[in-house]
Amino acid sequence: MPLRYLAFPLAALAALSACGERDDRTEITVQRFFGACQAEYGDVIDPQEAEGECGIITAMINQFEAENPDIKVVENTVFWPGYDQLTSQIAANGPPDVVTMHSSAIPDYEARDLLEPLGEDLPALGLTADDFTAAARAGVTVDGEVMGIPIDVWAPLWHINLNLFREAGLVDSQGRPIMPRSTEEFLEHADRFVEATGKPYFIQVTTKDLAGPSRIFQVYMMQQGDPVFPDPRHADFDNARGREVLKFMRDVYAGGYSVRDQDYAANVSAFLRGMGGILVDGTWMVGQFDAAAHDPDSPLYQGYAVRPVPMMFDGPPVSLVDGHNWVMPRDSSRTPEERAAALRFLRFFAENDFQWARTGHFPAYRRIIDSAQWQGLPHRDDIAIITEIGQPLPNYVRRQAPIELIVGEEVSAAFTGAKPIDAALRDMERRTNDVLQSF
Amino acid sequence: MSSAAVRRVPRAAVIGVTMAAGLMVLPMLWVLILSLKDSSALMADTTTAFSPPWTLVNYANIVGDGQVAVWLLNSTIVSLLMTGGVLFLSSLAGYGFARLEFPGRNILFIVVLFGLAIPEQAVIIGRHQLFAAAEMHNTYTALVMPGLSAPFGVFLMTQYFRAIPREIDEAAMLDGASRFRVFWRVLLPLTVPAQATLGIFTFFHAWNDYWWPLISATNRDMLTLTVGIAASQQNFAQAEGLGFLMAQAVFAGLPVLIIYVIFQKYIVRAVAGAAGQ
Repeated sequence: MPLRYLAFPLAALAALSACGERDDRTEITVQRFFGACQAEYGDVIDPQEAEGECGIITAMINQFEAENPDIKVVENTVFWPGYDQLTSQIAANGPPDVVTMHSSAIPDYEARDLLEPLGEDLPALGLTADDFTAAARAGVTVDGEVMGIPIDVWAPLWHINLNLFREAGLVDSQGRPIMPRSTEEFLEHADRFVEATGKPYFIQVTTKDLAGPSRIFQVYMMQQGDPVFPDPRHADFDNARGREVLKFMRDVYAGGYSVRDQDYAANVSAFLRGMGGILVDGTWMVGQFDAAAHDPDSPLYQGYAVRPVPMMFDGPPVSLVDGHNWVMPRDSSRTPEERAAALRFLRFFAENDFQWARTGHFPAYRRIIDSAQWQGLPHRDDIAIITEIGQPLPNYVRRQAPIELIVGEEVSAAFTGAKPIDAALRDMERRTNDVLQSF
Repeated sequence: MSSAAVRRVPRAAVIGVTMAAGLMVLPMLWVLILSLKDSSALMADTTTAFSPPWTLVNYANIVGDGQVAVWLLNSTIVSLLMTGGVLFLSSLAGYGFARLEFPGRNILFIVVLFGLAIPEQAVIIGRHQLFAAAEMHNTYTALVMPGLSAPFGVFLMTQYFRAIPREIDEAAMLDGASRFRVFWRVLLPLTVPAQATLGIFTFFHAWNDYWWPLISATNRDMLTLTVGIAASQQNFAQAEGLGFLMAQAVFAGLPVLIIYVIFQKYIVRAVAGAAGQ
């Protein structure tokens, strides 16, 4: 009989679908990026023994489980940034209990009412919004409502090969790097640097990755004062300020002061090999570059410094920042016990934020910024100013992720000479406005 | 063509093919050699891959992560179930379209063929909502079932059944065989070459599939190897964990390589057969 032949596959499907184990602990699903490193840190429950984003967050979750035996954490690690999967889970009515989310993505999800406000839960976490740094607070607050618990604040920085700077005479009497204070001074320093070392002054992403060029452009626009996004539906790129920024970026590239044909990985490798003076990269690389500065075999040996992106335009001091946060997607099936367990998880991370700050990111809490422990970490005093001047893009700009890609495409095309500057600015503004107005 | 010309052309062809093969193998060798270096050394300079020390630590880390074994098992289960299901259903459908007379047969066959022209992306939202409504995401059923709809398989098997002379069916029926017995005992064994083609293509497609498992399997224990490996990457893994990443790529490719070595003869025939369709 035909059914005889159907029996096995159907039974196999049914049996496999029903696989599972009973567990009396309250289960919460924690979804995050930062990669998987179970092989190296799966058994580590002391974050102090871990290094790097992946290692530290893995150890912190292990520690939480060890200290909270009544809670089972199901850890979902997603391919960065994981928003496609999250959206898919929300559409399938099965979102995780807590999930990592960039500050720049929170307004997008909040506008669609997909996140639970957490402001009323702050007392249960032992927190008030005043405990957050200004930048961290701005990153999780939308229309006055706290939508997440900040993990960190990060910013693009200038990582400096001090050995090459010394060779070019670009250090002061105390051996500190001399930073340019204008675009003209930048080009002058770059000229001196290239002449003295034969290497490019500036290491930046010039191909494939779009976030880097977009962030550099946004920083320079912010340094000129006037808002790039005057209201929630409009961007203002196609103006004299935009032209000045792109012309400067084009001058750097065309003048031979920048690396060429490098993506993010090539950038990092080039900097570690001593192939250029300044690398534009984020807070997360401070720890690794500092380790290289202590390695006698490294070109960075005793020659690494890091600074905020210097002010080169005439506006008020400012630095572009974003941040990582925990948010709680709305889920009508979440039980009070699961919600309480998720809040305990968030409280644990808030209490142990110093461990995370060892990655190089800025702590999200004032008490840690003010602590001798954090200030004693390498290079933190050189970049701590960002916690005061850091500004995210306004959170009324709902679609920041796609906008970052659009801006990155147009900026890359303009500074590499693939597209005229005027056309790039025009297209950047038109495409961005399309996104803002279609929301 | 003179005999001298015949001798010259193959030599050039051999050289050309050898060079092309070498070019194709180079990236794979590069992946292999990177996988044998410590990630921290590669982060500083990838050219260190050409000099010792080499290490198996990246492979040890893979084996040490229990999740990889789970993903490997998931990929194997999904690929085998999908391959078996496609062979079973496509054979039945192919036989039906080739041998049975029923109202609307030709229209139905055309409708099935339309499936070849509809990209997966066009139906993904509807499919996702369907499985969400049935609360079937994060199950093997959800991972396997969409792949069972295989218009190419139905088309291939239909054409193959049509090429078998009807006299064979008639002779079997005269001997008292039922229609299912004719299908199962007489015709199906004759379609083994087509089954091999379809089975190999389906298995490789299921093994390498990324998009649907990415969307449907969001629980870490239900990930397939392709999605799991992608999820293991750190934010900037191309810079931070290159050796481990390459070891994962080699590890993921090994089962397919083993299958290729075992079934090489059939795969070559399958590809040649598909090209001749």
